[in-house]
Amino acid sequence: MSDSLRLSFDVACSADHAFTVWTGSIGTWWPADHTVSGSPESVVMEPRPGGRIYERTADGTDHDWGEITVWEPPRRLGYLWHLRADRRAATDVEIRFVRVGANSTRVEIEHRGWERLGAGGEQWRRRNRAGWQTLLPHFLEAAEGRL
Amino acid sequence: MVPADLEGDPFEALGDPQRRHILRVLAAGDRSVQEIAKTLPISRPAVSRHLRLLRQAGLVADRPQGTRRIYHLQDQGVQAVQAYLLQVWGEAAARYRLVADNTTPRSTGGRSE
Repeated sequence: MSDSLRLSFDVACSADHAFTVWTGSIGTWWPADHTVSGSPESVVMEPRPGGRIYERTADGTDHDWGEITVWEPPRRLGYLWHLRADRRAATDVEIRFVRVGANSTRVEIEHRGWERLGAGGEQWRRRNRAGWQTLLPHFLEAAEGRL
Repeated sequence: MVPADLEGDPFEALGDPQRRHILRVLAAGDRSVQEIAKTLPISRPAVSRHLRLLRQAGLVADRPQGTRRIYHLQDQGVQAVQAYLLQVWGEAAARYRLVADNTTPRSTGGRSE
C-alpha cells in the first residue's frame, strides 16, 4: 500500500562495508532502548534467507525480532520485522545499498506492510472510527504478544 | 509506569491491561474521565495518568465540554505508530552511520574522506 515508510541517507564507505555493518555488526549500533530487554548482550542476523534476527540477553534468553527474506550482499537485504510485536503483526523491511562511489553508499530503507497490523488496508486508509475498531484487536494482540 | 524514554511509544502504551481496557471503552463511544473511571477499579488520578500516556502515544485525544474533558480514540492512531517507527529508524540510522563511517572494512581497507 501507499503508506510505506521511507528513509535514505549516504554513508562514507563501500556498499560491501555498509552491508556488513548493517547485518554483522547490528549489535554495535542498534539503539538498546529499541530492544525487548533494553540491554541485550548481542544482536544476531543469521546471514541467509530464512535466517533469524534476534537479541540474546545476558541470561541466555533469545527474543526474536524477525526473519531474513532477501539476502543479496552487498546490494539488497530484506526481512520480516516484528520487534516488540507478535509475529502475526510482522511488517516488511527492505534495505538497498546503492553504490555512489568507491567510498560512498546510499542506504535506502523502506518499511511497509502496515496493512497486516489491521484486518485490511482499507481500514488503514480510511482511518475512521470503524477502521479503528477493526484495528484495535490487532494492536492489542500485538501488544499482548510481547508480554 | 512507562519509563520516561518510552513515553509516546504506542506499543508501550498498549502494554498495560488497564490502558487496553480504556481503549476498548472508547471504541464503544466517547467518554469523560469520570465515566471511564467508573469502569475501572482504580482511582481517577490513576485513570488520568493512563489517559495522558495514551494521548502522548497518539492513541486518544480529548476535547473540553463544559468543565469536563471528553476522550475519544484518535483516528490517526495508525499514523502515531508510523511516526514512532520513523523516529526509531531515524535514531538507528544515525547510530549506524557513525559505525559505518568510522570503521575500516576488513578486506578492502583504506577510505578517503
